[in-house]
Amino acid sequence: MAATTLEAPQKILLQTSDNVELKVDRDVAERSILIKNLLEDLGGEGSEAIPIPNVNEAVMKKVLEWCEQHRKDAPATQDDDSDSRKKSTDIDEWDQKFMQVDQEMLFEIILAANYLDIKALLDVGCKTVANMIKGKSPDEIRKTFNIQNDFTPEEEDQIRRENEWAEDR
Amino acid sequence: MSNQSPTMSSFKRAPVSGEHPRQHVLASLRATQIVESKPVLPAELIATILDYLPISDLFRFARTSRRMQEMVYDDTRWIQRLKSMNCWNETEARQRFEEAMRRKMEAQRAKEAEEARRTGVGLNGSVNGIAGGGVEEPKKSITLFDAGWEEEKQRMSLDRSSARPRASTLDRGFDAMTLSPSGTSAPGQSFSLDPNLALKVLTKVRSIRGHARQEYGKIYGALAPYYFDLARSRSHTDPVLFRTYRDPEQQAQMLSQLKTFAKSDFAQGWSRREEKLESMIGIFENAVLREFEQGYESNDVDGRMKRYAHVLVTLNGGTAGIDSFIHNHPLMIDKEKLGNPTDCLKDTAPGHISLQPSHDFFRELATSLNEQAEIIDRVFPPTVDALLPFLDRVGEDIVSEYVTTLFDEAHDTSIEVYLKAVAGVFSQGLQFAHSLKGTKGSKANFQQEVLRIVSRTFEPHVDLYLSEELDFFKRKSELEVEVWEKRLSDEEQSTESAFMANVNRQAVKRDFLSSFRKVVMMPVNVVSTIPTPFGASKPVTAPAIPNGDSLEPPASRSGTPAPGERSTSPRLEAPNTELAAKAAIMNSRLEGIRSLFSIEVALNLIHMAKSSLERAALFVKLGGQSGEESREQCENIFISLLQILGQRHIRTGFDKAVNHLSAYNPREVADHAQQGVEPLVTFLELVNVGDLIQQMVDVFYLQELVAPRLTDRDDFLSVAVKEKKRFEQMLDERVAAGLNKGIDVLMDEVEYICATTQLPTDFNPSPGPDGVVQMQDIGASHTATKIVDLVSSHTSMLVGSTDKNMLDVFNQEVGLRLFAALCKHLKRQRISVDGAIKLISDMNAYHAYIATLRNKSLTQYFSALRELSQIYLISPEHAKEIATIIADSDRYYGIFRAEEVYEFAERRADWFAVKRAVERAMYGFGCIVM
Repeated sequence: MAATTLEAPQKILLQTSDNVELKVDRDVAERSILIKNLLEDLGGEGSEAIPIPNVNEAVMKKVLEWCEQHRKDAPATQDDDSDSRKKSTDIDEWDQKFMQVDQEMLFEIILAANYLDIKALLDVGCKTVANMIKGKSPDEIRKTFNIQNDFTPEEEDQIRRENEWAEDR
Repeated sequence: MSNQSPTMSSFKRAPVSGEHPRQHVLASLRATQIVESKPVLPAELIATILDYLPISDLFRFARTSRRMQEMVYDDTRWIQRLKSMNCWNETEARQRFEEAMRRKMEAQRAKEAEEARRTGVGLNGSVNGIAGGGVEEPKKSITLFDAGWEEEKQRMSLDRSSARPRASTLDRGFDAMTLSPSGTSAPGQSFSLDPNLALKVLTKVRSIRGHARQEYGKIYGALAPYYFDLARSRSHTDPVLFRTYRDPEQQAQMLSQLKTFAKSDFAQGWSRREEKLESMIGIFENAVLREFEQGYESNDVDGRMKRYAHVLVTLNGGTAGIDSFIHNHPLMIDKEKLGNPTDCLKDTAPGHISLQPSHDFFRELATSLNEQAEIIDRVFPPTVDALLPFLDRVGEDIVSEYVTTLFDEAHDTSIEVYLKAVAGVFSQGLQFAHSLKGTKGSKANFQQEVLRIVSRTFEPHVDLYLSEELDFFKRKSELEVEVWEKRLSDEEQSTESAFMANVNRQAVKRDFLSSFRKVVMMPVNVVSTIPTPFGASKPVTAPAIPNGDSLEPPASRSGTPAPGERSTSPRLEAPNTELAAKAAIMNSRLEGIRSLFSIEVALNLIHMAKSSLERAALFVKLGGQSGEESREQCENIFISLLQILGQRHIRTGFDKAVNHLSAYNPREVADHAQQGVEPLVTFLELVNVGDLIQQMVDVFYLQELVAPRLTDRDDFLSVAVKEKKRFEQMLDERVAAGLNKGIDVLMDEVEYICATTQLPTDFNPSPGPDGVVQMQDIGASHTATKIVDLVSSHTSMLVGSTDKNMLDVFNQEVGLRLFAALCKHLKRQRISVDGAIKLISDMNAYHAYIATLRNKSLTQYFSALRELSQIYLISPEHAKEIATIIADSDRYYGIFRAEEVYEFAERRADWFAVKRAVERAMYGFGCIVM
């Protein structure tokens, strides 16, 4: 037990919602602020698996793949600087490929990133979704995101008219 | 992020709280039940996604459902966009809000009676809930809106804040929106907005809570078409912007607005769009700049130059235009025309510098700069300050270059020239800075800025200058002292010395000092070159004033080599001659005294210090670090003045004098005819001179350091103040030590006189042939007169030269020692009744002298002595009376005890005859009483 904690890179165990245990490098897992804080709370004790009850194995693997790719990135700043996020750069090529998954998986990744508190991944996910929305009609959007329409056609038209200034030209 | 926020979906997650005891961290996680089946994004994530959406997609998204619409319409989202463009004014928004609330309350009160039942309660509640106590505050500042409209809007925003959008309210609210042409324009009819309105759209934005979206809409409607069109366009001829707006002014205005607008573009690809915009602005700017430069070349000031300068300013503050203006300025291109710095060093006497060429240089520069200021006024709008950057460049490129060359050259020539050049040119530079006029675009602190620019050109030279100045001063003054010392040793200690007879010292000194003060107050010539127009003033180069100019007192003794040329000493005219005359008088009076240290040298040193100081003090105006440094250096100059003057010069002199004093032995001096003890006289005169020098230093300190605020007199930590104290202390110490020795010497002399001149017959005259003593003259004996003369002549020398306390102590000491010496002397005499008259006259003479010292206790001593001498007057027949007088201690103010008086009585010539009778009377009385 002691040997594993001292080895570098240190490995930790994650237990997903479907009870699969995944062994990952500690620094990879610590891209997640949630896991990082948990590990700090636990201190050095034990190699017990850390349960991640909101994320299943498939999603977790995907998330860890991203973390592996980005393990060398600068650690996310703790405070939420909304302005810098607003003007964040476009999605890079690797991330674009990484996000080429079905929509369900995309949402799962976003949710997981949100839950695990991986800000950069969450941003990439949100941008990907934004790209999906771009250029779609309201109907298409509803279909894509499974949204119930609770407008009358008049009401919907009213919204369109009052925001005509924003129409594409 | 926590997962407790509202979600679109129906599933619920177990809350994960952060504060589990350690052993439960995992346990609670394990206990969590998973209910989820299909992923649905919570609202906060949707909000994040919306941030990345382009505006057009945002509203399509809003049309999908009420919830989504609510999210898109959320006011904070739009306020943020306005803020990113710096178009949101929080205080304005708050004012509007409060204003609206006030109106609402008024309207409410009016309607209350009839509407109480329907709306009163609910609205009141919400109003209070939102606005709190601030509602009542009467804010009258903004009345931009029609009350009814405002109320309508208010209601709408309140309704919305209660988060239950009702279709009807929304409709009404948005109809009220003042987006002018949108109602009529069909989608796709792109550039239909009034182009003139669009031009000013950014300046018309208002900060209204609840209306941020509409306000942003106005901007977006006006600018976005051009913005996206520009981003899509391939060449600079493409964009609609340049077709819609033909005037370069309008184009610049639009481009500058687009640049601001780009800041609110968060959607993907913003960086590419911004880049495109930047490059387009760059192309536009270059084109305008070319026009501007062409106008510049053809000197079309009020036409093309003016027009395109304005365009550039509108576009991006006009930096490029100003740069080009400055860069292509004729002043920059042919700066050689202004003058060659080395001119200042040509055709000048060694150690001198002509500041005329540099003055011409600055004058020309100032003239052309003031012309330029006018042109700038004509070309540039008053919103930009083109003159200051221009001056900055002029300072850097022209002045700095000139000054550096000049200083380097001067430094190579000689240090003295360098020092004069730096200080002189710097003061010219300051004049130059003051002579510049600002433009309309100049800010209020124009003068300071110009001073800063000029100062900056000099700053690199200040350090070197200051250290050179101090070195120069030290070297010069040490040389001065050395020369003097050498001369002194050549003359072999000129021991012969005359008296400072019959001189009213205080009056003379006061007179001398007042001339000195005048001279010190006069500005040194370095500064005086510029202030007046040159017409009248003589060329500075010519050594205008011939030899008699300097402040040094003319050498008073023939054969004394005059000190070498001292070019630093200020050449002043009027007070100069006056002072020179005074110094001459002074010196002739003090002749013989200057042997040990010289007032002349002190005067020279002070003048060197003054010229150095005044040069260095100029730089204090620089302010900041350099200013502080130069202020310190001024203090340093003063300190080294004191050190050289005090330690090197005065102290050595005093020490020598004291040595002479202690070596004095009256018996070895052959000639006592001279009045006074020579070394003591020398010393006392030294005290006078020292005091004079100290007063000069004091005047100098006040005039040169305190008055221009180079140092703070009350700052006890200031090094200058400390050094001055030390100097004064040193002086006092030397004086005290010397006086101590002086008293010894004086008393030796007194005793010597007593021993050698008092004849035994003075107090015990031998009876004449007829047996009767001849009393030729009833007056003080020769000895007494001599002693009184000796002592009084020495004590009076100190009057006015040391402070009162010192003088009192000195007098007291002299008096007491004289008293002791006289007692001793008396006990060596034999006094007859006849001689007693002489003795009493002697004692009266002493007493009269002591009385002039106005020292009460001292006077008592001599009164006692006088009383005592009466015991010799009583004839032997009255031995009893003698005893009475001996025992009467009140007579002697308690100074003599009876036994002592008895001892004196023993000196009676007839003592053995009366002794028995006296003793009987003395002790016999006692028996009777008992």
